[in-house]
Amino acid sequence: MTADSTLPSDMAPQLNSRAATRAQGVRRFKWTVLSPLIALMVFILLPAFVLQGYFSFFSFSIFDAGDDTSFLSYFRASEWVGLDLWKDALTDDKFGFAIIRSLLFAVGVTVGCFVIGFALALLMYRPFRGQGFYYIFFILPMLTVPIVIAYTGEMILYQNGPLNDIIGMVTGTRSDAQFLYKQEVALTTIAAMEIWNWTPFSFIIMMAGLASLPKEPQEAAQILGASKWRIFWEVQLPLLRPVILLALILRFLESMAEFPKTWGLLQGGPGSATETIPVYIFITAWQFFDISYGAVLSYLVLFMMMAIVMSAIWLLRREKKSLDAMYETKPQEG
Amino acid sequence: MSRIELVDLRKEYGNVVAVKAMDLTIEDGEFIVFVGPSGCGKTTTLRMIAGFEDPTNGEIRIDGTVVNEKEPGDRDLGMVFQSHALFPHKNVADNIAFGLRMKKVPQDEQAAKVKEVSELVRITHLLGKMPAQCSGGESQRIALARTLVTEPSNFLLDEPLSSLDAKLRRELRAECDRLHDELQKTFIYVTHDQEEAMTLADRIIVMNQGEIVQQGTPMEIYSDPVSYFVADFFGNPAMNLIDGEFVKNGDSLEFKSAHFDIPLPAKFANATPGKGTLGIRPENVGIGANSGGATIEREVELVEPLGKDTLLYFETEESRPFVAVVEGTEDVKRHASVTINFPDDAIFLFGANGDRIR
Amino acid sequence: MAMTKSQRRISYAAFRYLVLTFWLLVVAFPIFWMVSTSFKPDREWFAWPPVYISENATLQNYLAVWGDVTTHSVDEQTGEIKTYAQSLQRPWQALGNSALISVIATTLSVLFGSVLAYGVSRYQILSEGRMFQLLMLRMVPPIVLVAPISIWYSALGLLDTILGLVMLYFLTTLPYAVWMSKSFIDEVPREMEQAAEILGASRWRTIWEVVLPLVRSGLVATFLFILILTWSEYLLALLLSKAQIVTLPVELSKYQGSTEGRVYGRQAALSVGITLPLIVVGMIIRKHLARGFSFGMVRR
Ligand SMILES: Nc1ncnc2c1ncn2[C@@H]1O[C@H](COP(=O)(O)OP(=O)(O)OP(=O)(O)O)[C@@H](O)[C@H]1O
Ligand SMILES: [Mg+2]
Repeated sequence: MTADSTLPSDMAPQLNSRAATRAQGVRRFKWTVLSPLIALMVFILLPAFVLQGYFSFFSFSIFDAGDDTSFLSYFRASEWVGLDLWKDALTDDKFGFAIIRSLLFAVGVTVGCFVIGFALALLMYRPFRGQGFYYIFFILPMLTVPIVIAYTGEMILYQNGPLNDIIGMVTGTRSDAQFLYKQEVALTTIAAMEIWNWTPFSFIIMMAGLASLPKEPQEAAQILGASKWRIFWEVQLPLLRPVILLALILRFLESMAEFPKTWGLLQGGPGSATETIPVYIFITAWQFFDISYGAVLSYLVLFMMMAIVMSAIWLLRREKKSLDAMYETKPQEG
Repeated sequence: MSRIELVDLRKEYGNVVAVKAMDLTIEDGEFIVFVGPSGCGKTTTLRMIAGFEDPTNGEIRIDGTVVNEKEPGDRDLGMVFQSHALFPHKNVADNIAFGLRMKKVPQDEQAAKVKEVSELVRITHLLGKMPAQCSGGESQRIALARTLVTEPSNFLLDEPLSSLDAKLRRELRAECDRLHDELQKTFIYVTHDQEEAMTLADRIIVMNQGEIVQQGTPMEIYSDPVSYFVADFFGNPAMNLIDGEFVKNGDSLEFKSAHFDIPLPAKFANATPGKGTLGIRPENVGIGANSGGATIEREVELVEPLGKDTLLYFETEESRPFVAVVEGTEDVKRHASVTINFPDDAIFLFGANGDRIR
Repeated sequence: MAMTKSQRRISYAAFRYLVLTFWLLVVAFPIFWMVSTSFKPDREWFAWPPVYISENATLQNYLAVWGDVTTHSVDEQTGEIKTYAQSLQRPWQALGNSALISVIATTLSVLFGSVLAYGVSRYQILSEGRMFQLLMLRMVPPIVLVAPISIWYSALGLLDTILGLVMLYFLTTLPYAVWMSKSFIDEVPREMEQAAEILGASRWRTIWEVVLPLVRSGLVATFLFILILTWSEYLLALLLSKAQIVTLPVELSKYQGSTEGRVYGRQAALSVGITLPLIVVGMIIRKHLARGFSFGMVRR
């Protein structure tokens, strides 16, 4: 496209005009396809961003969100407080703990999903009798709605529920463990549900990754005397690195945003044991209706997530580049 | 000393029988070439020897010991794959050293061996590169080096050259030949290409539909094919094969076809009449009545001078024209009418089932 | 003692079945428990020891939740449940809303996403950098924007409308749609299209007859994955709906907040209704899922 413009048009008018028409066609196609996306970003997301920033300098809070038109009247009643709220946020312990909780939760869930999903995929990627059966079953948790998982989890985990019964049968003593309404374990329990829910995602990605690995290098390694374990470390794992990274990053970011289980089931409790970032912002903006402070927290989280996402993207792009280089088309014999 | 024996070897994939009851002994240092049409079971046989596939039935013995229960890495084998199968994330030197590392060879010894073997296959200038930076021919040399460096007694090569262009293929073919001469190890080589088979093999194993149909030196296979299938497979240009009928004519037998009728040599007098095929190699077809035998008159429809030889085509409207090879010095014009001579000992007959009639 | 090849293979197979079956139980038990509870009469909901399979299986939970409470009298002895059911939102309406919103949003997302992916794959209409930036739409938690969006929506009159939710679902799932479908489109060799074009096929015909059949499985898998996300979305649905619109996850969450104590059987009956459609869809298209998805991070 750029080459066209540097070519004098009278030199190859035929060729030039055809290429130009084509480039124009591609350009039109591009903007047609992108227009809905751009429209939504400009008319929905951008105003929300701006509003969010604007609110963060006021003491804007609403106590009754019932009537649609009431927002503005509440806003008129609010006053400019400048950077006060921002300062508050930076010294807000609850916010700090929420961040730590979210990070711990996300790391735990990511590792859990990945380890289980990868292990299952390693056991399953080679054909065997029953492969299809297990595959379909293992995908089921992903098809189950998170809020359903939360409530079903509660039915199973409550003190007189079947899990304690099963533990009792296995150990032979009556078990009445608290899995949910106890500060020390609540977040772990929610993480376990999240792992149950999303292991299929890691599993599917790793299955696709393992299945796509070329077989010959593995066989070559085998005949050169490498054990299964060596082949895994030296051949499979390095070639899977980009997929692994992708599975980890997507899962990590998705679990940073987890809401239905933490909120739907425990509303941040007991105490504030499950008060993760989304829950804390939710409580601020939708329980205390402190829109302005919620906006400040949101912006801070946004910055943090942007930083994380950018580094993730940087990592992914680097991996993708090395992958592309590995399978680049060969130069001709010369 | 290493001898490979396949005893009653069989492989089934569900209903597909890939290899049927194969019996074969491969002597130490032999260059064996498996040839046959696509899907005849060559790769399957090789992979069973390597240990990647478990036989449905039968035994594989190396040096007299049954190795069915041994892992591929414990069979004293090296293998070169069609797709070269280099490790794309390791540089060339690491690729070559991989087998040594697996065998826990000391570091300095590894380096020395890698150097030695890369000189042998002439790739020393590539050692620091990544496989993606090497061309197809170079990659195949690297793959060869990676196999050579562990010094196995037997080499398995599955169509190692088929993804290369013609010139490279000839070059690496010569390389394989040279390596075999130098190393005196057993080579088991699979190919589609009859020319590769003819030039490389000590012994050719011709397979069809999971069975060995003939084995022997390249010359034996060429001059004494046991069936239509083998006759058709070897030789370039391919043997002229004309479908027709053998008819009793008094004491002797006559061949009748849509194109010509000729009397057959006396040695076939007692063969059963019926449908069949007559074969004659283009290089044995006589042009001009010179050696006895039957003759016919035909118009030359196409002349293809190749320098040393000239190809003459007859019956070009047929799906397989009749071809004759004459000396390049012979001056035959297109549309000239010539006498085609069928020397008695150049004629092959095949029955309706494809078996040779002697 | 060294094992032979076949011994090793047998013990590996045994180990594999053991592990897989264990995970199968872990996966199946919660689903089993949900279904089993949905058929339990109320006195078995909290029984100790827990009732695994009810001998008094009943449809009363389903009738109470899904039945038409104004004309159906549910069960004489559980009058309180009847009023309770009436006080809650209507599951059938929620089902309708959920289906409408998620199917529309998913269709739009996959449609636009795959066309965009085609443009990126064949004409590089977005650079690689832009493609990665697109991921941000998904990767930033929605909670950080939902408050101003709800205020902005209320000004635009989009609060509590299907359109409002559809637009956001479209935006938040588009990155997955583009990335997933691009990885499938990239696998279709360009030579194939060129061959079709040389034979005189028009651009759209080429896409329709050459590209689409080859990526169909991939698109179906993409569709299901995004349907999962939109069908089960909770946060946006909770905060951007009020009286008019209610989706199934939000409807279910009302049982938890209710003051009348836990009603496990009812909850389970509703849960089954929420889960079943996705599982049915998943089973119907299961053969398309076998390929999995890798977002273009592998080479085939
Ligand atoms: N893993 C497999 N599963 C099912 N059938 C197979 C498998 N591998 C090979 N076959 C079948 O076994 C037969 C022999 O295949 P094989 O690969 O040995 O042929 P080949 O002689 O190497 O052919 P080619 O020259 O095309 O490489 C074929 O019919 C093939 O379809
Ligand atoms: Mg083969």
